[in-house]
Amino acid sequence: MSIKVHIHKSHRQFTDGLSVVDSNGKTVGECLDNLIKRYPGIKEKLFDKKGNLLNVIEIYVNLESAYPNELIKKVSNGDDIYLTAKLSGG
Amino acid sequence: MLTQNDLERYDRQIMIHEIGKEGQEKLKSATVFIAGAGGLGSSISIYLAAAGVGTIRIVDHDTIELSNLNRQILHWNKDIGSKKACSAQNKLQTLNPDIEIQGGDETITEENISRLAAGSDLIIDAMDNFPTRYILNKYAVDNSIPFFHGAVKGFEGRVMTVIPGKSACFRCLYKGPVPEEKSPVIGVLPGLIGCIQATEVIKYITGIGELLSNKLLLYDGLEMKFTILKINRNPDCEHCGHLTIQEDT
Ligand SMILES: [Zn+2]
Repeated sequence: MSIKVHIHKSHRQFTDGLSVVDSNGKTVGECLDNLIKRYPGIKEKLFDKKGNLLNVIEIYVNLESAYPNELIKKVSNGDDIYLTAKLSGG
Repeated sequence: MLTQNDLERYDRQIMIHEIGKEGQEKLKSATVFIAGAGGLGSSISIYLAAAGVGTIRIVDHDTIELSNLNRQILHWNKDIGSKKACSAQNKLQTLNPDIEIQGGDETITEENISRLAAGSDLIIDAMDNFPTRYILNKYAVDNSIPFFHGAVKGFEGRVMTVIPGKSACFRCLYKGPVPEEKSPVIGVLPGLIGCIQATEVIKYITGIGELLSNKLLLYDGLEMKFTILKINRNPDCEHCGHLTIQEDT
């Protein structure tokens, strides 16, 4: 079982510079938990203190938006999870 | 009706099969509202003015500062201290005296958006904050006119085209407020993202090509990578949830 998590550029400092990390889990949330176990520094860039996904974070599974209820979205072997951040500059 | 001058000025784009004289006439008849005359607003407005969009209204409340000049190519060193709306109007009108440029030195609010955007066929996002983008998106959805979103940070940009009643809107992705920040930006980035937004606008006005609706285009300048992500309409969206979606036939 392998699910690829694509790490946003601004978060790669927490994944030893890796742009893609292999993870596993039945849902997006489980895959992110697995990611955080290995790279705990990324946690506060994705979740608030109550464990809710930050408003600025967007999650896509296989190039399709996983919003709403991203964390309970089911994933299976070979899926790709993309973590991105909203942009506000103009 | 195109004049002899129009036929000459726009010759190279009239030559494009998909545009032709008919497309050029549509551009000439169009009225667009550009919200912001900063980095995105500079490239969007320059190319739409050059392309012959008949009426361009561009609104910004800011004053030009030295630190704007790495990316806001409508404004030059001599303009520091002037209003962006005024500088934009002068430059764009000089670039193309055959079209109408309306500069507005105002802050866009929920109260004045109806007046500012009145008569516009579409709204182009060249803002630097989320709250104003949501004001623009809501106005566009309520008035059934398209909204062309763009945003930038660092080397990364995104573009999305909203066709109310047909596609997901900008608010469909809303999860809650995001803290405001001052975005670092490499100057070429809003140039590129603004050009993509302007391309979408030209395609919409002339009715050609395929739009970035129900899609989010992500651009990563460092890896020189474009990614198109599928966006789904949120049936509970505060702005567009009440609309009945028409499928393309
Ligand atoms: Zn919506």
